Amino acid sequence: MISRFSISRSVCCFVIFAASLGGAPDIPAMLKERLASVVAVEFTIEHELDRTVNFAFGIVIDNDGTVILEPGAISDRATPNQLKEFKIYRPGAPVTDFATADYLGQDGYSTWHFIRIEPTGRIGLKPITTFVSTDIPAVPAMAEEVWGIGLRKKDEDYTPYFLSSRVSFLQEMPQHTAVALDSVSGRGLPVFNLKGEFVGMGASGFGESMIIYSQRRRGEMSVLINPDECAAFRLASEVVVAVGRIPTSPYGRPLPWFGIDGIDPVDPEVAEFLGLGSGSGLMVSEVLAESPAEKGGLLPRDIIIAVDGVPLPRLKPDRIVAAYLQRELLRRLPGTSLSLTVLRDKQELELPLSLTDAPKTPAEAERHYFEDLGLTVREIVYTDAVARRADPTKLTGVVAHFVKPSSPVGTAGLQQDDWIKEIDGTVVTKFSEAVSLINAVEKSKRPEVVMLISRGGETSVLRIKLN
Amino acid sequence: MLRLLLIFGISTFGVSTLRADMSRGFRNLMDAVVRIDVREYAYEAGAKRFRSGVGSGAIVSEDGLILTNAHVVGRRAVEINVTLSNLERVSAQLVGWDHWTDLALLRLDQEELKRKGFKFAVAKFGDSERLFAGQTVYAVGTPHGLTRTVTRGIISNPRRFFADSQGVRGYETGLFNTWLQTDAAINPGNSGGPLVTEDGKIVGINSRGYLGADNLGFAIPAATARAVMQGLEKQGGISRSYVGIVPGALQDFESFYDLELNNGMLINSVDPGSPAAEAGLRGGDILLAIDGQRVDGRFPEQLPPIQHLIAARPIGTTLTLSVKRGPKTDDYVVQTEALVSRVGEESVFEPWGLSVREVSRAYARENQLPDDAGVLVIGVQRGFPAAVAGLAVGDVITKINDTPVNSLALLGAAVDEYAEQPKRVLIEARRQFRVSLYILKP
Repeated sequence: MISRFSISRSVCCFVIFAASLGGAPDIPAMLKERLASVVAVEFTIEHELDRTVNFAFGIVIDNDGTVILEPGAISDRATPNQLKEFKIYRPGAPVTDFATADYLGQDGYSTWHFIRIEPTGRIGLKPITTFVSTDIPAVPAMAEEVWGIGLRKKDEDYTPYFLSSRVSFLQEMPQHTAVALDSVSGRGLPVFNLKGEFVGMGASGFGESMIIYSQRRRGEMSVLINPDECAAFRLASEVVVAVGRIPTSPYGRPLPWFGIDGIDPVDPEVAEFLGLGSGSGLMVSEVLAESPAEKGGLLPRDIIIAVDGVPLPRLKPDRIVAAYLQRELLRRLPGTSLSLTVLRDKQELELPLSLTDAPKTPAEAERHYFEDLGLTVREIVYTDAVARRADPTKLTGVVAHFVKPSSPVGTAGLQQDDWIKEIDGTVVTKFSEAVSLINAVEKSKRPEVVMLISRGGETSVLRIKLN
Repeated sequence: MLRLLLIFGISTFGVSTLRADMSRGFRNLMDAVVRIDVREYAYEAGAKRFRSGVGSGAIVSEDGLILTNAHVVGRRAVEINVTLSNLERVSAQLVGWDHWTDLALLRLDQEELKRKGFKFAVAKFGDSERLFAGQTVYAVGTPHGLTRTVTRGIISNPRRFFADSQGVRGYETGLFNTWLQTDAAINPGNSGGPLVTEDGKIVGINSRGYLGADNLGFAIPAATARAVMQGLEKQGGISRSYVGIVPGALQDFESFYDLELNNGMLINSVDPGSPAAEAGLRGGDILLAIDGQRVDGRFPEQLPPIQHLIAARPIGTTLTLSVKRGPKTDDYVVQTEALVSRVGEESVFEPWGLSVREVSRAYARENQLPDDAGVLVIGVQRGFPAAVAGLAVGDVITKINDTPVNSLALLGAAVDEYAEQPKRVLIEARRQFRVSLYILKP
């Protein structure tokens, strides 16, 4: 009966209305209906040596089969072209019955990963927005009762189950987040209020500090994290924003960039000392070379106090303010102009700045695996140079992205993330040069190759025996 | 070379008439070996605290000079008590200190000696350059406080290379000398005591052993000790020249670099901003000669003598380094500067509960800091203003109330001012590469 309803918003309102009219909400019926918005996702990450199969849960956000996954669902180190074979399973359906999907990318602002289910797999799915009653999604109140969906593992056909609790508190982190007394949903799965309105998405990584008493290590504080279920959830407003932010490239472009590093929140004592009132400030440790920040005149040790005239809020804990600024920038598109208010030598300054598209990211960098050496070299990008305290405007060398254990390079002492500057005495200026140099070495069947590598600011000459 | 040593060994130890001399020599040595009890202060955790330790040493001159380890007696020793062979105690003062070779020189209190009428013997040195693996040696010292303990072993390796960047209480050691390795039992407390041949002549100063290993002990060769001792007696320390080259052994690389055997040393790395870097040297270069003197750095054991060659020149000397890069060999002219430790001068500011250390050039380079400005936090005391403000070990304080901090004195003045009239202080510090502000308040 319920499954025959169309997915228009008015019908949805009717359902909610009907449920609330009947006195006690019919949660079993609502739960059943809302299962059409959740899927289980299986995908493969192809590494140099092996493949790992990964599992996550997702929420359907539109009628085009777009599904969002929480940021932790996919490892940061995996690049889009290493992600293969997305399979979509429905809650409780036989696992022999699955659809495929494509990876769309990760949105820098919302941090959600996006995938799209093939047309034949979309039948019967309902976007989560179906359960958002008004333009502004419902925000649960402190102490309000909420409930959500959990899914069992693959060997149990991802059978759905019910979870519920009450909201303990709400916090900006800087994402609007609620924390409940107990688990309210599976990771990345939806949470609803008693009216059946969508109020949030289960967020992982929240732990509880516990003291574990044991015979051996007494009184040591540990953090317990439930890997399957969440007591915290991002509010619905954070999720529905995804509808308008579906990436157009798997690398999350366009990616606005500003070019500062080491932004450190000033603590309340310092804020008061600097006369920031109820506002907050962020100390800029470094302004990166040739970045919009540098061009806009920002200097190291400037304290950012407002964006476009809006003072930075005081969020708790302090460090959240840095993430807030990050989001304020990522929310905008490259090319956007904005003004930053900074405190420099106790003087307030307005700096007009313009965001640009970010330099190539490590995920976008070219890479090549050399089987004989057991080495993946990766093109060096801007952020690599920044991390190595080198000049990011003059990139040379390549990065050892992967070193196979006990391989010729591994035995010679090369380590992951080493910076390869010379190969056989030739200075490597470009990625393609490194590839052809190593190709030549592999072809020549020579007994050895010599590399000059840099690690922690110190160079070292490595002799790599090949046979 | 090896054969020569063997012949020497046979001719010396095969003749029984030397036994009487030997035992006389050994008895003399036993009268020269001392136990050293040290009380010193440390700037731990934002407070000046006392700690004590026990080590060994040997009297090496008629006027009461005692050779021991730098890690036994530090520069902050406040009380040094020496137990002579007659088990009586005499106080001593620190004369000189050199962590690079882990050596310290003390002098017995002359007046106290005279007043108490104590006598002692003076130990004699042997030739550490002529030791051979397998030769019998004895370690004499105070292992675990057991005064006057003699253990016996052999020279396991007369020329062992190991360098430790934090080996002597956080200071570097072992870059300019090789070590004697012995299987004579060396335990904590043996440090600073002599390693001697059967005739009681000092061939090494026992210094360290591998933890968790059986009988892998190390001693500073007497040849190194005697040379350093001279400098310590005259100047209280050894000044060394530095150019900024981190060496590597050339073994297995000769064919790649197209070198003849036994010539050249690999330059593994060049310290950023060092004279060698300024001169244009870089990692992967081959150093062939220093001022025309060919160097041979084929094996790790050969690296300390080459380092020493540079270090031994007066500071500010202009050196011509012949360097091979690719097919070309060029001369590079570098002017040496003073070698500094990664550990700078330390101090404690108790009103703030803060122990600090000056950032040295070496520390700045090691940690890729932009310069050597600022002072490094090495300890904070819980509940005191520095800790409450949020400062932590590893932070580099760069400014106080907007004034750049480049000396301990400047920080000291700020603390004094605070102690007199406590009021809020704004501190800027760098944690790794992140700049943060802290408010320190009463």
